[in-house]
Amino acid sequence: MPVLETPPLVHETVVSDRREPFSDIVIIGLYAPKIAREARPGQFVMAVTPSGERVATALGIYEAAGDRISLMLVVVGPRTRELALLERGDRLVLAGPLGNGFQLQALGKNVALIAGGVGLASLLLPAQRLLADGARVHLYYGARTAGALVDAELFEAAGAGVSLATDDGSRGHHGYVTELLAREGRTHETIAACGPSPMLRAVGTLARTLGVRAQVSLEETFACGVGACWGCVVPLERSSAQAPAFPPVAPGETRDYVHARICKEGPVFWSDELRW
Amino acid sequence: MVTKAAEPDISARLGGLRLSVPTLMGSGCYGSGEEYASLVDLAQLGGVVLKSVTRLPRLGNDAPRLVPVASGLLNAIGLQNPGIESYLASDVAKFADRPCAVVGSVAGFSVDDYAFVTERLAARDEIDAIELNISCPNVGTEGETFACDPDLAERATRAARAATAKPLIVKLSPNVTDIAAIARVVEAAGADALAVINTVRGMAIDVDRVKPKLANVSGGLSGAAIRPIAVLAVWEVARAVRIPIVGQGGIETARDALEFVLAGATAVSIGTGNFTDPRVPLAVASGIRTYLAERGIATLAEIVGSANPGFRGAR
Repeated sequence: MPVLETPPLVHETVVSDRREPFSDIVIIGLYAPKIAREARPGQFVMAVTPSGERVATALGIYEAAGDRISLMLVVVGPRTRELALLERGDRLVLAGPLGNGFQLQALGKNVALIAGGVGLASLLLPAQRLLADGARVHLYYGARTAGALVDAELFEAAGAGVSLATDDGSRGHHGYVTELLAREGRTHETIAACGPSPMLRAVGTLARTLGVRAQVSLEETFACGVGACWGCVVPLERSSAQAPAFPPVAPGETRDYVHARICKEGPVFWSDELRW
Repeated sequence: MVTKAAEPDISARLGGLRLSVPTLMGSGCYGSGEEYASLVDLAQLGGVVLKSVTRLPRLGNDAPRLVPVASGLLNAIGLQNPGIESYLASDVAKFADRPCAVVGSVAGFSVDDYAFVTERLAARDEIDAIELNISCPNVGTEGETFACDPDLAERATRAARAATAKPLIVKLSPNVTDIAAIARVVEAAGADALAVINTVRGMAIDVDRVKPKLANVSGGLSGAAIRPIAVLAVWEVARAVRIPIVGQGGIETARDALEFVLAGATAVSIGTGNFTDPRVPLAVASGIRTYLAERGIATLAEIVGSANPGFRGAR
């Protein structure tokens, strides 16, 4: 094997542990001291698919402590299926940590976290940091069924309150997780959310109704993960502080937004600045 | 990097452009190069072909722009870029200290666009060569028309040729009946090299939502899925022209790259392969060296086109 120089953000990691709390939801622990040390809440890694035959997969950094990080994934296609087959001792190449995380300061001292499915993965580090900084944190966590609500106890252990919802009513509120918060009214200063796009759109609507601001972490297909390919864009207000430096509007252009790269300018955006 | 005296020479020459390593990073896949600097030592690359720039700013296509498909990737970015004037003012200066070659990429919608943008971009010292993108499949029919019509391909190339003395690479489309015929007219119009191929047109449909997966409906297919198409295109073009060819389409390993070289490519370009693993370009260069060393071959140039009996290029 040729010796390849390792640039700063590419890491050869080793699987230290693996659990599958529910069918097709897998949590992979990795020996990755540098990422564990440097990861900010809400950042992600690009995981090189073990076969080397498919585009790398973006995954939020779930846990980070000591020399270990973990990644939570749900098997939805060939790439995640490959990653889900990793076993203790296997190697995994990661690029990261990448992207901008949550702006924790701006979230204030009384924060509602809203998680949909494995979107939960991007909210544990923010929860731990917010709680450590003295904020009150409540997790609203929705999934399709009771078994798919995994690891809520990690949030409880960190000191967060937890409310649950399932699509099939098998545990907690029967319906959407956003309905839980809507029912309570304005009980939090801000919202931080991660989950599928339809849920995040609903979070945006809810935040507007409640008169609070929400930071949402978008889940998208990335190709490069570093802002090079402009494949993962989302329409964003031109006035957003996160709008990429993008100059003059072309003659005849009717769209009044900019395209921000989710991987580079995001993945976390203020929901009231998104134009999706 | 340690270089032993006996190590094979894998440098490549595209007209006046000399690459110490025969790997270019495909336009649109590598941004300006700086985006990848934290993942790859840019000094180990032959060069970066910058994202295409047009005369006027372009907001690009709406999202979604990417769809992973079996053995590849569909994209329809739509040439999002700030336009040449803003690009010259704020972007080009960033390329001055690149430790590898920098190739500017020019896209357009008229012959005059190609002349204008080529002249403006090539005038900058930071730019070592120009690639003419006459084959973008994702901006309606007009972007790719130039690569699909021999007359337009010739006029765009001639216009760009007149606009700069720097090495001129013209990127051809596979979405044609006879790519060799286009290659001939582009060579005659003054191109120094040809990039073969751009993406293959394709689409994917979401059967649950009953609509196309890309906002643009159709896109360009890249990745391993198109490699055999690209190798054949290089093979055919190599029998038709004498100017050097940059082979590209689904290269992920040194052996993939060598297929292109043996078909007649002087250098290769890696695009989607970077998305599989950012270390792919380094592994390709290293694997090519190993291949040559194991066979006692001193230079990469010696084996260009050696599987292709009709190869007409110079070695």
